[in-house]
Amino acid sequence: MLVATDLVKRYGTVRALEGFTLSVAAGEIVGLVGHNGAGKSTFVEIVSNLVRPDSGTVSIDGRPPAAARGRIGVSPQHISLYPSCTVREHLELYGKLAGLRGPTLREAVDELAVVLRLTEIMDRRTGKLSGGQQRRTQAASALVHRPPLLLLDEPTAGADLETREAILDVVKQRAGEGAAVVYTTHYLPELTELRATIAVARDGRIIAHGSYEELVNDLPGEVRVRLDSEEEISVSTHEPTVTLMDLLRQIDRPISSVDVRHPSLDDLYRSLAVHDAP
Amino acid sequence: MLLDNVPSAPSASGVPGVPGGAEAPRSARLLDSVHRIGALARHNMLIRLRDPGQMISYIVMPMVLMLVLKPLYVRAVDGGATQVATGLMVMFSVFAMAMVGNAILSERTWHTWDRLRVSRASAPELLVGKVLPLFAVMVVQQTLLLVYGCLVIGLPVPPAPHVVLLAIALWAFALLAVGAALATVVRSHGELSVITDVGALTLSSLGGALVPLSIMPDWAQFAAHASPGYWALILMQAAVRGDVAGALPSAGVLLAIGLLAGAFAARRLARGWARGGLI
Repeated sequence: MLVATDLVKRYGTVRALEGFTLSVAAGEIVGLVGHNGAGKSTFVEIVSNLVRPDSGTVSIDGRPPAAARGRIGVSPQHISLYPSCTVREHLELYGKLAGLRGPTLREAVDELAVVLRLTEIMDRRTGKLSGGQQRRTQAASALVHRPPLLLLDEPTAGADLETREAILDVVKQRAGEGAAVVYTTHYLPELTELRATIAVARDGRIIAHGSYEELVNDLPGEVRVRLDSEEEISVSTHEPTVTLMDLLRQIDRPISSVDVRHPSLDDLYRSLAVHDAP
Repeated sequence: MLLDNVPSAPSASGVPGVPGGAEAPRSARLLDSVHRIGALARHNMLIRLRDPGQMISYIVMPMVLMLVLKPLYVRAVDGGATQVATGLMVMFSVFAMAMVGNAILSERTWHTWDRLRVSRASAPELLVGKVLPLFAVMVVQQTLLLVYGCLVIGLPVPPAPHVVLLAIALWAFALLAVGAALATVVRSHGELSVITDVGALTLSSLGGALVPLSIMPDWAQFAAHASPGYWALILMQAAVRGDVAGALPSAGVLLAIGLLAGAFAARRLARGWARGGLI
């Protein structure tokens, strides 16, 4: 569905993208992570046709971004809503711009209102809504025309639990129906919940790309054993369970607690995106 | 089901679910374009109606000023009633340039312009949808002031109202195009405000909207030709007289100004405000 190859984008002396390559298949969710300035938002802007790359290519279902307008649903990083317009007016506007009309439009709006828990606030102006409600409205605006490609740039930033759950649910639903999804976030547990393929960006390029298991399996976990004497033994290991058994056999003093931590996405993120950062 | 797979989704493109794509017949593409402009115009009219303060002041203020200044103009020049009515119509329509500028700049503040650019609407469609409601507002404003001028100020009733309406429409087009172009080069509402306030006063007074050109110094009468307000005033006065031939040269100048400024605005807006200092 989406193939971006060797994208380069510079703003003056700042290198936003430097050989950024990423593919997303229909029905796949790619979680794009990386520290601030890694190039995530620039990538989203290029795919959205808001910014032209200096070099490299983007293909959306075989078309360049300019020819794929309307087949993309974008939820930008910033809240981008009209404060004096209601939630319903937003959804109707973006639906109409995508070519939806009459009963098709009404059904799409009503369905999203339910899925994103907007029913009670459909006729309220967005300027009066909470941050979470605004986030859900923005996500709904991106989804109303059922685009085959979704670009969600930190859609849950600063959002409450209800908003996060609602957005994750609808993203999973749309991917299940065949949409390709690019989902940028700093909340890594969301990607586990979305069962997303993970792409780690750093310095304008993708430095790791694969499933959660593929990326995390090579990382060490940790075993901690706390003794009654307040002393703590901590071991970094690729086989936490085996190591724990060994430790328990060797320790002949009273133990107050044990903690086995398997490698997580946070460990991967830290090892790739932060520790290696220049 | 995705848009791609919805057989019942409106499609005029040959590509399922993508109405009016590049492959669609020309008439279907045109119809889709009209629908998008209609949706945008309705949306922008809603926004305008929910914040009507500026519109009201640009109608009430010239009415008050016409009434107060009429005796002065009647004593100062022949046809003083025509001068005060058309002059203030032109002057306060120039102020209305700020409305379109602010409307476009607000899209930047709200981060909504880039959101619209991702939609299927092209830059000219976005611009037309943005400007159309303001065009209607300006036509209503000018028409109200004209009627007020006839009923209260003593402006002669135009023998050819359709010519006046055309003149109003042409002037509104030129002004809105210039306002839109301005909005794409300024960096803030403050900057726009300075340009439109100072510019409106300078252009309209230099054009003879405030003080009759005949009593202005020679250099000012010469410099007036550079002001769109001058051409607007000539156009409006000729239209009120029903003098079509007299209105044509100024109509041509204003049409050219409008087309140039409109093309410039559409080009700039197509590039948006995404990062990278594009504007």
